[in-house]
Amino acid sequence: MNISLLIIGGAIGAVSRYLFGVLLMKRNKQPQFPVAMLVVNLLGSFGLGTFFSFYYGEYHSGDYSDPIYLGLVIGFFGAFTTFSTFSVESVQLFNDKKWKELIAYILISIMGAIFLFAFGFYIVNPGD
Amino acid sequence: MNNHWKNILAVAIGGAIGTYGRYSLNILTSNSVYPIGTILENLIGSFLLGFLTAWFIVLIRKEWLKVGLGVGLCGGFTTMSTFAADTLSLFATFSFIEVFTYVIGSVLGGILLAFCGYLIGTRFAAKINNQRKEVNAK
Repeated sequence: MNISLLIIGGAIGAVSRYLFGVLLMKRNKQPQFPVAMLVVNLLGSFGLGTFFSFYYGEYHSGDYSDPIYLGLVIGFFGAFTTFSTFSVESVQLFNDKKWKELIAYILISIMGAIFLFAFGFYIVNPGD
Repeated sequence: MNNHWKNILAVAIGGAIGTYGRYSLNILTSNSVYPIGTILENLIGSFLLGFLTAWFIVLIRKEWLKVGLGVGLCGGFTTMSTFAADTLSLFATFSFIEVFTYVIGSVLGGILLAFCGYLIGTRFAAKINNQRKEVNAK
C-alpha cells in the first residue's frame, strides 16, 4: 500500500513538472535562460518546506513507514523537483559560453531552493 | 492514442520507476547519518541525463521515449526539494564547512558528471551513427 502511494506520488510529481515545462515553453519558445525548471525547483522546495512545517512541525528525515512521507515527500515533491535537468542545463549554458547566465542559474537554483525551503517552513511556524 | 497523452503516460511511468529507484537507494543507505542516498541519486541521474541528452540529439526521434527517459526517469530519480531539506537538517549535526562541502559536492559533482555523460554520449552516438551509415552503404 505504502509503495503504491510512493509510485503514484512520483508519477503525479513528474507529470506535473512535465506539464509545467510544456506550458512555459509555449509562452516562450526560445528562452535565453532555463527558467521553467528553475521555477519548478523553487516552487517544489518552498512547498516541501511549508508541508514539513505544517505536518511535522520540525525538520524530519526519513520515516519510511509513514505513508504520507512516502507519498508526498519522497513521491510527489521528490519527483516534482529535479536535479538532473539542473545539471544538464548548466552544462548547456557552459557549452554556449553564457557565463553570467551560468553563474546566476546555479546560484539562484541552489541558494533559492535552500532559502525557499527554510522560508516555507518559517511562515507556517514562525516560532521555530 | 494521441501524442500528447502518449508523452504524459511515458513521463508518468518513467517518473514512477525513477521515484521507486530513489526510494530504494535511500533505504539501502539509510544507516548513514550523512544523506549519501540523495547525493548518489543526484550524481548518477545527472550523468545519465547528460548521456541521454547527447544520445537523443543524434539517434532518438520518438518524443515519448525522450520525455519518458529524460523528464520521467532521470527527473524522478533526482530531486532538488529533498536536497534542500537535507542541507538544512545537516546544520543540526554538522559544521558549516561540512554542510558547505555537501552542497558544493552535489552541485559541482552533478554538473561535472552531466558533462562527462554528455561527452561519452556524443562519442557513442557518433559511433553508432557511422556504423549505420556503413551498413546502409553496403
